[in-house]
Amino acid sequence: MVAPSRAPLRADRLRALNVPQSVAVECDVEDRPQTVGDVTVATVLESWRIDDEWWRQSITRCYHEVILDGGRRVVLFEDVATGEWFAQMP
Amino acid sequence: MQNSAATRMQLSTPRACGCLELRDIFGSHFDLSMPQRPTSSLAACVWIPLFPLRCEEARREGLASHPTALLAPDLSRKLWQVSPLARHTGVRPGMTVSQAIGLCPTLRLCEPDPVHYDERFARLLAALNEISPVIESGELGLAYVGTDGLEGIFGPPEKVVKAIECVVRGTWCVRIGLGRGKFAAWVAASRAKPGEAIIVPPQGEKKFLAAQPIAVLPLDPDTHRRLRQLGIRTLGALAALPEEAVTAQFGAPGRQLWRLAAGHTVEPVIGRNAPEPIVAALTFFTPVGERDLLERALDQLIARALKHPRRIGWRVQAVRLRAEIEGGRSWLADILFKDPTADAARIAAPLRTRLEQAPPPGAVERLVLELTAFAPGTAELQLFARDAVAAARAGQRRALESAAREIQQRIKRSCLYHVIEVQPWSRLPERRYALIDFEP
Repeated sequence: MVAPSRAPLRADRLRALNVPQSVAVECDVEDRPQTVGDVTVATVLESWRIDDEWWRQSITRCYHEVILDGGRRVVLFEDVATGEWFAQMP
Repeated sequence: MQNSAATRMQLSTPRACGCLELRDIFGSHFDLSMPQRPTSSLAACVWIPLFPLRCEEARREGLASHPTALLAPDLSRKLWQVSPLARHTGVRPGMTVSQAIGLCPTLRLCEPDPVHYDERFARLLAALNEISPVIESGELGLAYVGTDGLEGIFGPPEKVVKAIECVVRGTWCVRIGLGRGKFAAWVAASRAKPGEAIIVPPQGEKKFLAAQPIAVLPLDPDTHRRLRQLGIRTLGALAALPEEAVTAQFGAPGRQLWRLAAGHTVEPVIGRNAPEPIVAALTFFTPVGERDLLERALDQLIARALKHPRRIGWRVQAVRLRAEIEGGRSWLADILFKDPTADAARIAAPLRTRLEQAPPPGAVERLVLELTAFAPGTAELQLFARDAVAAARAGQRRALESAAREIQQRIKRSCLYHVIEVQPWSRLPERRYALIDFEP
């Protein structure tokens, strides 16, 4: 990682990194991702859930780290409040 | 000889300098946005063939009237340079001593004294510096004098040549060539008779070069043979061919040769900066011949030289190791680092190799290490560069900032970013890091 410059840090100059991208996910009977878009999930490596910021706007997500057909590793999560699926870099 | 000198001339062409503001090795400010080293497109080439041999003749009375040969400054015991009298008897450089004595029983052999030759050449360059501030040295005995603007001091080119002759001719029998660019000047000097000068008139380079043999070009033997097989004997014949055809036959080097032959390449004389070297010396109580001891002494000298306050914040680009050998002889090793360094081990490595492959030809009485050229390790003031690692890091950062500034100027918007930590502890990955514009 490159060290920050001496330029003052301003919030309006920040760009988010690793922003979740909306994806279409189909799950199996156990609610584990089966396909991401048109690509089949080869393996689910790990699954976990987070409940955060319950004191203001609650964030509840079910995460799955998966390997897709072709070998690409992706982190998927389902926003429990809305039911939408997103993909992120691991 | 001509070929090797011409090749050296090309190799000695320095690279372009950066556009930075720095302090020099003495702490004074200089601005690199202006050319760091003075240049001159008009060049006078001062050439003293067989310079080391001439040095021996100058210090030993009567030697010049005998067939003489100088031994190579390594352990091969082969001949390095041969006087014209010895050459008449068939003696040639590269022969063994026994072969040479067999051909010329009266041949006088001289042990080499590279330190002496180096000192004499340095004196010659210093003398030329009185004529012009733009001096570039080639191999021993070959120097270029930048003559741009000298007509205002000395008058027409003939007077400039006269002034150069006055400075050097008292001691040496020189050949001088004057022309636009180093190549034309070198060719003129190589065609001049001993003690004479050839001046190539302005705009007359093409005509002058056209009549010269292709041997004046910096050619490898294979290219030389192929050109001769094609019936090309002169630079004019080469320049008469289409540039594309020569490039197709001989590649990029062929194109360079064509441009030289056609007088399209004008290499300027680039003056040198001669900072005061950092010197560390060790005198042995008894002369030392063992390589282990010499290497240990070398390590000590390197450590001592690197600790010198003037070195801090600078990387070493060139070193010279001199040895004074019992019996009045000397030994010299010059090392130029492609990547300047402040690391003692990296400085020592090539010197150790030299000590192993071509050791001093006798027991050493005194060992002297000189750090002769430096490269900035940092763009910050050297006071802030506490050690070589910090200096190198600062140098990398400066290079990055310079590249970023250039990209920003070219595409008029920021497209380089830092990755910064925002909430590295967050359980939400998108909140851990963010991008911010990189502003050098």
